[in-house]
Amino acid sequence: MYGAKLAAWMGIGAKTKGMVNDMLCERCKIREANIQYTEVINGVRTEHHFCTQCAKEMDFGQYSAIFDGEFPLGKLLSGLLGIGEPVQKEEKIQQIVCPTCGTTYEEFVDNSRFGCADCYSVFDLLISDKMKQLQGSEQHTGKTPIYQNAAMESTSKGGEGKAYRTREEEVRALEIRLREAIRKEEYEVAAECRDKIKELKEENA
Amino acid sequence: MEGYAMLKWFEETDTNDPGILCSRLRLMRNWSEYPFPAKLDEAQSRELVERLEMGLKDIGELDQQKYDCTFIDEMKELDRKVLRERKVIHSAIMKKKTPTGLMLSKREDTGLILGGDDHIRLQLFARGNVLPALWKQANRYDDYINERFTYAFDPKYGFLTAFPTNVGTGLRASVFIHLPALSMGKRFVSAISDMGRFGISVKGLFGEGRDNFGALFEVSNQKTLGQTEREIVELVGKAALQLSKQENEVRLQVLEKHRAEREDEIYKSYGVLQYARRMTQKDALTFLSQILTGENDGLLKFAEPCSIFALMLGVQSANLQRLSKAPMGKEELEGARARYLQERLPKLKEAADGE
Ligand SMILES: [Zn+2]
Ligand SMILES: [Zn+2]
Repeated sequence: MYGAKLAAWMGIGAKTKGMVNDMLCERCKIREANIQYTEVINGVRTEHHFCTQCAKEMDFGQYSAIFDGEFPLGKLLSGLLGIGEPVQKEEKIQQIVCPTCGTTYEEFVDNSRFGCADCYSVFDLLISDKMKQLQGSEQHTGKTPIYQNAAMESTSKGGEGKAYRTREEEVRALEIRLREAIRKEEYEVAAECRDKIKELKEENA
Repeated sequence: MEGYAMLKWFEETDTNDPGILCSRLRLMRNWSEYPFPAKLDEAQSRELVERLEMGLKDIGELDQQKYDCTFIDEMKELDRKVLRERKVIHSAIMKKKTPTGLMLSKREDTGLILGGDDHIRLQLFARGNVLPALWKQANRYDDYINERFTYAFDPKYGFLTAFPTNVGTGLRASVFIHLPALSMGKRFVSAISDMGRFGISVKGLFGEGRDNFGALFEVSNQKTLGQTEREIVELVGKAALQLSKQENEVRLQVLEKHRAEREDEIYKSYGVLQYARRMTQKDALTFLSQILTGENDGLLKFAEPCSIFALMLGVQSANLQRLSKAPMGKEELEGARARYLQERLPKLKEAADGE
């Protein structure tokens, strides 16, 4: 089921013997190539052909999981969507952390509990769907506190350094959301996230 | 006179609709200066609680009441259990080991938990279905606190709380109602889960399903974000009233056909409560529920006003244990429960008239 979908999406085919088209592995040039790997990065499409063994030995970065039998769809699609990044980046994304209280996104998911007020803005993009599900809304319409002092406002506006950090945080959050969308096969959401990330990165550059 | 002044809120007896026991309103707030309590260490928690208590020490000027300030984590386990039985604190707070403050009014109708799940949890109780009035009152407390402590607030998510289930208004409004007839119906469970569609949750006050002895239920709002405080309190109040009306209709129908049986059940329950020598909690709650029904339906009249709800809280184990000097085993506890009821249950009006 997934295999078929994968192949269709990525042009990766673990070919069966009957379908051999006489291609040799481009790495060892000995064994028959039975893995076709199509890379689409920033719109540029490249095709590669490897044997299973070479594929396993090679550093495919984020794609290596395919060959280890780990669930690969998300990782493959992030390649397709043009934000393929090295593996270290992936790990960094998983460890999105609230800078104020140290709550990680995973911790938040496990406990359904925020660590501090800043967690809301750090995890905002990740939680707004869940919030809508839980609360049926994502917009407060009730009371507004009458005594909010100046110190409070200045932290929420922030200095320039703060603004930069926030944008970086936003990118990280979007990246997690993108991965989640891909995992759930919500491609429209994924594409939206991709575009937003691109936009933010360009703004930063 | 002095005794009257010492009454707790749940011991009051003048309510218009006795099937509606009380309203409860909780407000969750956080101070913008600290992370939420779960992220604070021992010293930070203590500092937070002490600063909050210091800032709020004169809160009694709002309702002319004296407030006791204590640390829940330093209380004896039995005292914490009593507070839980009286709905002042919930189980998670009872078990908390880090510094957690409690400011409780003498009548126990107003309480502030400091450094619990959130920095501040304000809780107000009043007899009857009076949520809009309670919200008005809570709003004044809220402003009073906010004048001293800047809140964690976000224009999109509203008041920020540790749990996403409380964010927005931070408001949980409840009405406690007595539904002995409705809850016997086969369709009751599906009917109350249906109310979820309207954002209303209905839960047993003393347990789930058939274990909810006494047939007391808490009706409350499920959602806290996207509705105004007024909308929430009105919704919950209406839902409680609706349920209570349905309950009364069913009871009226039963009474028309089976008056003699109902009277028999209710008077037998009274007899057991008055004369039994041992009483389990289950039996006490079940029989008290019967006489509460009987009183509401006009089948039985007490010679003096009596808060059956206060008795239902009073027959809980920790409360009985606290009244005793020595620790009690199961049988002693059941004996103490029977005596507790005998001492407090008023005579019936007929008997009083006859004297
Ligand atoms: Zn090879
Ligand atoms: Zn945080």
